[in-house]
Amino acid sequence: MIEKNLEGVSVRWVIALKGEAEEIIKNYAMKRVATTPFPVYKNKDFDMWLILSGIGQLNAVAATTYLYVKSDASYNTIWINFGIVGSRNFKVGELIQIDKITSSDFQDNYYPSPSAFKNNNIERCNLITVNKPEKLFENDGVYDMEAYGFFSFAKKIAPHELISVLKIISDIPGTDLSEIDKHSVEILVSKQIQLIEKVLKNLLSSQKIIFLQLKDPKYFDEICLQKKFTFSQKVTLRKYLTQWQARFPQRNPLEEIGQRMTASQILKKFSDNLMR
Amino acid sequence: MVDTIYVEDEIIDTKKAQEIISKFRHAKVTSIKRFGEIFNLSNQNFRIQKTNPALILAKKQKGFVLDAPKGFGIGDQNNYYFSHMYNCLYDCSYCFLQGMYNSANYLVFVNFHDYQSEIEKTIKKHKEKKMTFFTGYDCDSLAMEPITNFINDFVPFFSRYKKVLFEIRTKSINNTVFRTHDPLANCIVAYSLMPEALAQILDKKAPSISARIKNMKYLANKGWRIGLRFDPLIYCSNWKAQYSELFANIFNEIKEENIHSVSLGSLRFPKSFFNKLLQYYPNSEELSFLRSNDKGIISYDQSIENEMNEYCRSELMKYSDARKFFSCG
Repeated sequence: MIEKNLEGVSVRWVIALKGEAEEIIKNYAMKRVATTPFPVYKNKDFDMWLILSGIGQLNAVAATTYLYVKSDASYNTIWINFGIVGSRNFKVGELIQIDKITSSDFQDNYYPSPSAFKNNNIERCNLITVNKPEKLFENDGVYDMEAYGFFSFAKKIAPHELISVLKIISDIPGTDLSEIDKHSVEILVSKQIQLIEKVLKNLLSSQKIIFLQLKDPKYFDEICLQKKFTFSQKVTLRKYLTQWQARFPQRNPLEEIGQRMTASQILKKFSDNLMR
Repeated sequence: MVDTIYVEDEIIDTKKAQEIISKFRHAKVTSIKRFGEIFNLSNQNFRIQKTNPALILAKKQKGFVLDAPKGFGIGDQNNYYFSHMYNCLYDCSYCFLQGMYNSANYLVFVNFHDYQSEIEKTIKKHKEKKMTFFTGYDCDSLAMEPITNFINDFVPFFSRYKKVLFEIRTKSINNTVFRTHDPLANCIVAYSLMPEALAQILDKKAPSISARIKNMKYLANKGWRIGLRFDPLIYCSNWKAQYSELFANIFNEIKEENIHSVSLGSLRFPKSFFNKLLQYYPNSEELSFLRSNDKGIISYDQSIENEMNEYCRSELMKYSDARKFFSCG
């Protein structure tokens, strides 16, 4: 489980149907916060949201976009597309990490980052997103109806290393699709919840790296509140304060600032000190 | 160890690609159309990729041989570099690769023959001029030798062009390939060096300086010519003592006559590279001394650069002929 109030944690799930999402919703104690245009769920203690997109690529893109805006997702957010798939290469119930996404409609392929796969020993394979439920499984890999649409948008709003597509095998050649109901899907998902958490753990450790990279240096906010800095002055201030922290960890930069100093004078003061 | 290999469809059946793939029996191999589908895309993160780099095997299409930057060289009129690989096994904090690329995956171009024919063309075109070909700038060729066999292929190739210099820039202590070939008079094994204490902080995953010196001694005794590359010179509080000790340690072990050349270089980055580095290493004291100059280049203050260059040159002159000294950039 994710610790409460973990600094920088931000996770979004995009899942087609309620049956596929039920165990995730339960496991992470999410509550419904919206019904239309898409049902949306949210954890009250930390920044985790889930959206039910419905079936198909268009729905997947629309729901991902909607959740991005609705939940005010930052750049440093984990995006996971999860659901059931069919395949001729795996057994029903297996959890699969997708390492290549192709589409029956488009030429470009997508490749989720291997950093999410590190040391988790979960099977990996390619995925083909199609527009109708697949029965023949002519190619190797797994078939779904959303991942391509999801990834095509997610890669624009988040680092590749924080985007994951996870699938559970629900049907193989010969499966009677009418027998796959909400309850049977929930059972498949519940059996893999520990492995799903393992994948999320990898993603969270990547998220932490980016969180630290994007974090403003100490005293940045305080100094920006004291004086009016232009955008480019803020960039310089951020750089100087980062260097200041490394060079003079015991010296408080706020003590260098005189009451009447302008933003440029403050920057010059920091620069002069760092030159020494 | 690499657990993911991406291979371009066009070269997946080549001998070199198969030879490399066979070295990673447990890796998942995924076919791609072109390496640009996964390498250096926007919204990729170098530092995260560095935690589990994938290997990408591709075909270089153009730009096999490039002019070295102005002012770069070890005495010859024409200087070129070529890169059969982007990114490195090591993880040095000041490395420009992490500023240049968003991707830390190892990208290897397997069509070595195309590089060789372009190098041949360049040599023939300028046959009246002295020239040097540099490798090891976008990667550490020697460190990746067990995987690529690059040096094993290029040492015999350059043995055919005795008037042309071939420099292999490295931090690796892998000497297997130099044991299997006779020393080549026109090949320089050039070691990047800095004081041991700094290397322990900055040259992550690279062999220690004492191990590099030991290996240089071994290669020199075998008859290989050695290059000493103090590039970049790193400023810190007691840099004079540290560099003096480093030079003494090197020349205590290696005879001056085995040294082909010595070069000194300053730490410089384009602004955008430096901003990324500062994000990656906010606590680095070494990066805190760098400043932007009026041309938008990040470097030490000119007075620091000059002082370091002059001091190191004068210290090195205690051990080596100044005619062997060159500046990098």
